[in-house]
Amino acid sequence: MKLLKFELLKLRKKSRGWLGPILVFVLIMTAFPLTVEILNKDMGQSFFSVLWIAILLVMMLATEDIFLEDFNDGTLEQMAIKHSSLSSVIAMKIFIYWLLIGLPISLIGALYGLGITNSSDMAIKLIPVLMITTYIFLNVFSFGNALSLTKGSILGILITMPLVLPLMVVLGKVVIAINFGMNFLGFLFLLLGILSIIIIVLPMIISFVIKAHLE
Amino acid sequence: MIKKFIHQFASPKTYLFQVDRAYPYIFYISLFIYLGALFWGLFLTSEDFVQGNSYRIIYLHVPASFISQSLYLGMAFASAIFLIWKVKLSAYLVRSIAPIGAVTTFIALVSGAIWGIPTWGTWWAWDARIISTLILFIMYLGLISLHDSFTDNEKADKFLAILVIVGSVNIPIIKMSVEWWSTLHQTASITVTEKPAIDPSMLYPLFGSIIGFTGIVICLVILSSKVQILKREKNKSWVKDYV
Repeated sequence: MKLLKFELLKLRKKSRGWLGPILVFVLIMTAFPLTVEILNKDMGQSFFSVLWIAILLVMMLATEDIFLEDFNDGTLEQMAIKHSSLSSVIAMKIFIYWLLIGLPISLIGALYGLGITNSSDMAIKLIPVLMITTYIFLNVFSFGNALSLTKGSILGILITMPLVLPLMVVLGKVVIAINFGMNFLGFLFLLLGILSIIIIVLPMIISFVIKAHLE
Repeated sequence: MIKKFIHQFASPKTYLFQVDRAYPYIFYISLFIYLGALFWGLFLTSEDFVQGNSYRIIYLHVPASFISQSLYLGMAFASAIFLIWKVKLSAYLVRSIAPIGAVTTFIALVSGAIWGIPTWGTWWAWDARIISTLILFIMYLGLISLHDSFTDNEKADKFLAILVIVGSVNIPIIKMSVEWWSTLHQTASITVTEKPAIDPSMLYPLFGSIIGFTGIVICLVILSSKVQILKREKNKSWVKDYV
C-alpha cells in the first residue's frame, strides 16, 4: 500500500508523464474531424478506427519511460533487492499508470464516442471496452519498453506492436457487435479473459527481463 | 545414452563437426526431392479445372508458408530450451533461424501476391491470413533488430528468447485465421486429421516439394548457425584450428 502511494505520488508529480498522453489523445481525436467533411455521415465509421489507433499510439507514448528513470537512478535495483517479488511492484506500477492515464482516456474516448455517434448506449458500452483495452496495451508496451530499456522506445514499439495487432481485429468486431446489438458481452468477456492472463503473466516476464538488465 | 548424446551434441564444437558431415547429404537429397517434385508438378500433372496453369505456384507458396510458421515454432522451442537448461547452442540457433524465417515469410508473401493476380484479381487484400503473415514477417525483423541492438550477446540471447516465447501466441492466430474469420484466402487443403481436399496427382508433388523445401531451408539454417557459432566462439582455440 505504501508502495502504491509512492508510485502514485511519483507519477502525479510528473505532469508530463500522465497529463501529456491524455492531452495528446485529445489532440489526435480533435484533429481527426478536421480532416473530413463536417457533415460527412460516414464519420461514425472511421471514428472507431481512429479511436483504436489513437489509443494504441498514446499507450505507447505513455509507457515510454515507465522503467527508464527508475533504472537510471537506481530505484529499480533497490526495489529488486528490497521486495521479495519484483513482479508485484511492476504490476502496481502499471496499475498506477492505468489509473492516471488509461482510465481518464477511456472516459474521454467514450465522450468522443457520444459526440460523434449520438448514441448513449454506444458510449456506455464503450467505457468497459476502453478500460480493458488500455490496461492490456499498457501491460504489453511496458513489456516492450522493459526489453529495450536503454535502447529507446522505437525498438520497444517495433517488437511489441505485432503482439497487439490481433487484438485490433477483436476491437473492430466489438464495434460491429455494439452497432448491430449482437453478442457484445461475449466480446467483453473475451477481452477480460485476455486481460486476466496478461495481468498475471506479463509482470512476471517483465521482472525477469529487468533482473537480466540489472545483472 | 540419449542423455550423453544430447550433452555432446549440445556443445557447439560437436554440433559443428557433426553438421559439417551431414550437410552435403541433406543438401543434395533435398535438392533432388524438390527439383523432382517441381518437375512432376510443373510438367507431369494436368491443368487445374478452374485456375488453369496458375495454380502451379502452389509448389513454392505452400512450402514457404508452411516453413515460415514452422521455423517460428522451432525458434520458440529452442528458446525454451535455452531459458530452461541454458544450452548455448540453442541460443545461437534462435538467432540464426530469425533471418531465414524472415526470408521464407517474404517468399510466401510474394508468391501469394503473384498467385493472387490471376485467381483473385488482386495482388493484395486486407485479409486476415495475409495480414497475419505480414505481421509474422515484421516480427522476424523485430527479433533481429532486438538482438542486434545489444552489444552484450548473453543479454541479447536472453531477451530474444523471451520475446520469441511471448510472440509465439501469434502463431495459432496465423494458423487459425482462415478458420476463425471469413477470408478471401482459402482454408488449408491438407490437414492431419482429414482427407486432403486436393487431387492425388497434385498432392504427391506438393508433399515432395514441402519435404524438399524443408530440407533446403534446414541446410540454410545449418549454414547460418555455423556463422553464428564461429562468430561467437571466435576466441576458442578449436575455432582457430577449424578455420
